[in-house]
Amino acid sequence: MIKSESMQNLRQKIAEATDKRVRAITAGLSLREIQALLRGDPPTEKPNPRYKFHTISFLAHIRPRYYEKGSTILTHTFRLGFFTSFFFFVELFTGLILMVYYTPSPEQAYNSILNLLSNVPFGQVLRDLHRLGAEGMVIFTFLHMLRTYLTGSYKKERSFTWFTGVVLLFVTLILSFSGYLLPWDQLAYWAVTIGTSMAEAAPLFGNEANLILRGAPDIAANGLLRFYLLHVVLLPLAAILVISIHYYKVSREHGISQPAAIEDDLVTPEVKKEAKQRIDFIPDLLTHEVFLTVLGLAVMVFIVTYGGYHAPLEHVANPQVTPLDTEAPWYFWWLQGMLKLGDKTLMGIIIPTILVGLLFAIPYIDRNPYRSMYRRPFAVGIGILGVITLIVLSYMGTPVYKIQTPAATRIIQDLAPEEGVGELRAIPFDQLPSGVYEVNKTPTERMCPQLDFGCPALEKVFTDYTNRVNQAIDGGALPEGQAVLVIEDWQQDLKKVTPRIVWQEGGTTKTYERQIFLHHYRGNE
Amino acid sequence: MSRVQIEISLGILLVLITSSIILVYGLNENNRMADLAEAQNARSIEVGAALFDAQCSRCHGKQGLGIPGVCPPLNDRHFFDDRLKDVGWSGTQEDYIVATASSGRLTSTRPTLFTGGGTPAMPSFSDRFGGPLRDDQIRNIADFIMNWEPTAQLVEIAQPAGPGEAVGTDINAPLPEGNAAAGEALAKSQGCTACHIDAPTGPAWLPSADQSGIGDRAATRLTDPTYTGAASTPEQYLHESIVNPNAYVVDGFPANVMPQTYGDNLTSQNVADLIAYLLTLK
Repeated sequence: MIKSESMQNLRQKIAEATDKRVRAITAGLSLREIQALLRGDPPTEKPNPRYKFHTISFLAHIRPRYYEKGSTILTHTFRLGFFTSFFFFVELFTGLILMVYYTPSPEQAYNSILNLLSNVPFGQVLRDLHRLGAEGMVIFTFLHMLRTYLTGSYKKERSFTWFTGVVLLFVTLILSFSGYLLPWDQLAYWAVTIGTSMAEAAPLFGNEANLILRGAPDIAANGLLRFYLLHVVLLPLAAILVISIHYYKVSREHGISQPAAIEDDLVTPEVKKEAKQRIDFIPDLLTHEVFLTVLGLAVMVFIVTYGGYHAPLEHVANPQVTPLDTEAPWYFWWLQGMLKLGDKTLMGIIIPTILVGLLFAIPYIDRNPYRSMYRRPFAVGIGILGVITLIVLSYMGTPVYKIQTPAATRIIQDLAPEEGVGELRAIPFDQLPSGVYEVNKTPTERMCPQLDFGCPALEKVFTDYTNRVNQAIDGGALPEGQAVLVIEDWQQDLKKVTPRIVWQEGGTTKTYERQIFLHHYRGNE
Repeated sequence: MSRVQIEISLGILLVLITSSIILVYGLNENNRMADLAEAQNARSIEVGAALFDAQCSRCHGKQGLGIPGVCPPLNDRHFFDDRLKDVGWSGTQEDYIVATASSGRLTSTRPTLFTGGGTPAMPSFSDRFGGPLRDDQIRNIADFIMNWEPTAQLVEIAQPAGPGEAVGTDINAPLPEGNAAAGEALAKSQGCTACHIDAPTGPAWLPSADQSGIGDRAATRLTDPTYTGAASTPEQYLHESIVNPNAYVVDGFPANVMPQTYGDNLTSQNVADLIAYLLTLK
C-alpha cells in the first residue's frame, strides 16, 4: 500500500464522504456508531445520536425513544399489540397483491379466486396468508384487549388509548367481515347475508341501513362493490388513522404500562428502580421488533405451506340455495347466539349497542385507582365472566345448538354436507363400485369382493351410516326407517351416489335423498 | 452474547429457514396449479351433472341419449365428431354447447329428425335471455357434456315405420308373435333408457331393490283402483303404455312427458317384440 501524504488525504476524504452518506441514510448514525451499536457499546457522540435519530427521521419520529424495562417484560405484554399491528401490515402487503388478481363483480369475483389458485404462482400462499393474517388479527386484537383489561392498563392517562383501541377492535372486525364476502362463494354470501340482516333489525331506519349496506334488498353486484370498497379503501384508511393515534399515545406519550405490582408500589425500591431503566429503541427495541417480525413471518409461512392451513372456498354464491348449516364467521357466533335468545332488535341491536358503549366507557366508569388484579376483584370477576359468556354465546351461535334438523336430513348432511368434503366425498374414487347397498341387509364387511384390496373406506362410511340410521330408528326418529346407498357409474370418471332414507310419518311414506356427483379428480381439500 | 446479538443471529437463521421453505414449496407450484386446475374442472363437471339432471335430462335423457323424434342425443359420437361441421360452427365444441344452451333454439335445425319441445324448439337457459341459469352454471353443464366426448358411442336415429306398417294406437289390434331378444335390442336402440333409468341401477323396467320387474308390475297395476286405461291384460297394458302413454300415468310422474308418436313410428312386430321382452322381467 502506498503511504504518501496525498494518499492519506484521499483516504480521509473517502472516509468523510462515506460517513456523510451513511449518516444521510441512517438519519444521523455514523459508521462508528453502528459498529458500537452491534458491539453493545455506549453511544459514541454527544448529543446521543440514537435519540437524535427520532427527531430527524419522519418514520422514526413516531417510534419510542425507549421503553421502561419493566414494561417490556414478555409475560406482561406477550407482544400482543405488536403482533396485532404485524398482522395488519401482513394484510396490507398481501392485500395489495391480491387486488391485482381480483375483480369485484358477481360474474368475475369467484373466477378471480379460481384463477388466483390455479394460475398464479404462489397465489394460494398469498390468499392463505391473507386469510391467516385476518384471523390472527382478530384473535390478537381480542387478546390484546383482554390483557390490557386484566392488568388494568386502561386507567388514568391511558383512558383515551383504550377508547381508540375499542374503535380498532371494531375496525378489525368489520375489516375481516367485509373481506369475507369477496370470494363470492356460498360460505361468503350466506355468512354476510346473515350478518347484514342484523342491520334490518335496527329500529326506525332498519330498512334504510340494510339498503345502504347491501346496495339492494339482497346482496348482489352493488353490495359486493360496497363491501369491496369498504374493505380496500375506507376501513384500511380508518385503521391507519386510528392505529397511528393509538400507537402515538403509547410510544410518545405514556409508554407501555408497567406491570401492576410495580406501579402500585408492591415491590422493593430496588426492583422498581430496575424496572424504570431505559431500554433504548436503538438497538434493543428495533432488533426485537425485526426479530419478532421475522419469527411471525416464518410461522405464518410454515402454517400456509406445510401446516395444512387453507382458506376455504365453497361453491360459487347462489342466492337461490341456502345451504344447510349456514353460519356467521366464528368471531360473530356470539351475536348469532344472542339472536337465538330473543327478539332480533333487542338482542341483535339494542343490547350489543349497550355492551359496546360499556366497553368504550370502562376507563371512565372504573374509578378504582389500583391496577393489581388482587385489588380489583370486582373488575377481574366481570372480565372473566364476560369471557365465559362470550364463549358460551359463541357455542350457542353454532348450528349445533338449538337448531332442529330432521333426523334423515341430519344423517345425510353429516355423511355428505352440501358444502365441504364430509365422509362420503373422502372415499377414494376406486372404492366406489356401483351397486345398491341397503342398510341392515348389505353386510358392512367385504362389501366389494370384486376389488383386489376391497373397499375399507366405503365399508367404514357405510358402517357409520348404518349405525346412525339404526340409532335414529331405535330413538323413534325414523319409524319403520329404511335406508340405502346407491352408487351408479354416471360418466367417465364420474359417479352418482344417492343416500336415501325412507320412513313412515303420520301415515305417509316420507323420503329424503341427496344426489351427489363425485369426480375422480375432484381433489379433496 | 448480548440479547441484540442473539436476536440478530436467530433472525438471520429464521430468514434462511423461511426462504428455504418458500423455495422448496415453490418447486412444486406448477404441479400444484395443474392439479388444482384439474380439480376445478372436476368440480365443474360435478356441478354440471346435477344441473343437467335438473334442467336438461327431461328432454335430452338422463344419460344424454336424447328422445327419438323429439330431442337430439348429446352423448353421441356424431355430436362430438360431425355436428360442428354440419352447422358450420367456427368456435369450439364447448362454445357451441354454451351458445345453444344459453340462447336456445327458436326452431329445430333438423325438423324432420327432432322436432324439439314445441315453440321454441329449445328454450333459452341463460338468465340473460330469460332462462333460469347463470352463465357459470351453463359453463358447468358444458363441462359435464364435454366429459362424454371420450366415451360417446354413435346413437342410431330411429327411422319412422313405413306407411301401412305402423302399429297405430288401438291396443285391441292383434299383434304377431313377439321375440324377447329382438325386443331387448329395440329397447336399447330406441333410446328408451334416456328417460327410463330412474331405478337405482339400470333401466326402470328391471327388478330393483324394492320393486319387481315391469312384467309383474304391469299385472298388478291393472288391478289398481286408480288405473284409468282400457287394458285388460298385462300385454295390453304394456301396449297401451307405449303407443298411448297418457291413457294412464303412474302416480308421481308427470303426464305428456313420453312422446306420443310411437304408434306411428313402431311396427306391430316392434311392439310385439318389446312386450315379449318386458314380460320376461318379473
